[in-house]
Amino acid sequence: MRHLAALILCASLAAAQKPPVPKTADGRPDFSGVWQGGGAGGLSFAIGAENAKAARPDGAPAQGGTGVARAEPAPYQDWVQPRLKELRDRRAIDDPDNRCLLAGIPRITGMPLPLKIVQTKDEVIFMYETFHAFRVIPTDGRGHPDDLDPSFLGDSVGHWEGDTLVVDVTGFNDKTWLGNGATIHSDALHVVERYQRVDYNTITYNVTLEDPKMFTKRWTLAPSFLTLRPGERLREYECIADNQDLQRFEELLKTPTVFVRPPQ
Amino acid sequence: MRILFFLAALFAAAPAFAHHSFAAEYDGDKPITLKGVVTKVEWENPHMHFYLDVTDDKGKIEAWKFEGFPPNMLVRQGWKREATLKIGDTVTVFAWRARNGLNLAHSREITFADGKKILSGPPAGTGGIN
Repeated sequence: MRHLAALILCASLAAAQKPPVPKTADGRPDFSGVWQGGGAGGLSFAIGAENAKAARPDGAPAQGGTGVARAEPAPYQDWVQPRLKELRDRRAIDDPDNRCLLAGIPRITGMPLPLKIVQTKDEVIFMYETFHAFRVIPTDGRGHPDDLDPSFLGDSVGHWEGDTLVVDVTGFNDKTWLGNGATIHSDALHVVERYQRVDYNTITYNVTLEDPKMFTKRWTLAPSFLTLRPGERLREYECIADNQDLQRFEELLKTPTVFVRPPQ
Repeated sequence: MRILFFLAALFAAAPAFAHHSFAAEYDGDKPITLKGVVTKVEWENPHMHFYLDVTDDKGKIEAWKFEGFPPNMLVRQGWKREATLKIGDTVTVFAWRARNGLNLAHSREITFADGKKILSGPPAGTGGIN
């Protein structure tokens, strides 16, 4: 009995003594490691009540969350609404992910495949298993280049605000969706991501988005988080080789009544 | 904040959706459970597929095709290529039918002959618009 009590005590102490947040040589919190995003329902939940409702007729969050953090609806301007309806009625068949195109920011963070962060003094490097994407984010005080070509992942520059890594992303094209469920944007998209390693196992992920061409105001996503995956390794995720969706979509489009949403 | 993380941890299982729109291709209102013999397993990105020969009441055999998670997600749930699901295995699959009416479905869970169950795909309603 005494042994059992000692065992329980040890287990309790082990649980209470989580390792501290690791620090780099220059005193920053160290984000290095393999992480899985999409915590707290992930970004498909965080993209907003309006889209979550569209994703599930009963209005339930698309990812099975239970109102952990109710998302603010996407503040689309009126002129965008007919386009959104069209895309929803086509059940998101036009989602760029179906064609294995690079998922943009913030969507790629919440994808169901992990990412690896490598942190140096002047850069934070994100390597995503999803579509083999990578971002090299300078944190040495430089700004965005002045010769940006519009791109799927945009251009990222970072800086530290205390223990929070703040990443400013601009220079997007208009070819990605922000999450599931017809979340389009324009090339004027500007994303600010805030990463904070709040404990050994967790990075909180807070995102604000501005798109003066499509949104009426700045949009703050519901918080989500990344979870440490000790011992995990990134694997190959080649998306095009056996992608059968496009062929099936072509077949479906021959008889649109099969999949087009009935009037809501 | 602690409560948020506690609640969040309850839902922190592997994210459910994969790279494409479930709802465009499959009908979440048409669940189906089929028992059959595995004839082929395609362990391929971006999604795994497997095939069953299903024998109906009259002895007629029909071939069915099922979609599942990407191999990377299967591995992280404990699957092993060429070990977990093998040709010749008799299994029962819970799935949702394709909208095109063909013998195609998106699998969710596989039950083996010994009663062991394993998840093979996301729940309906994820990754698209129902």
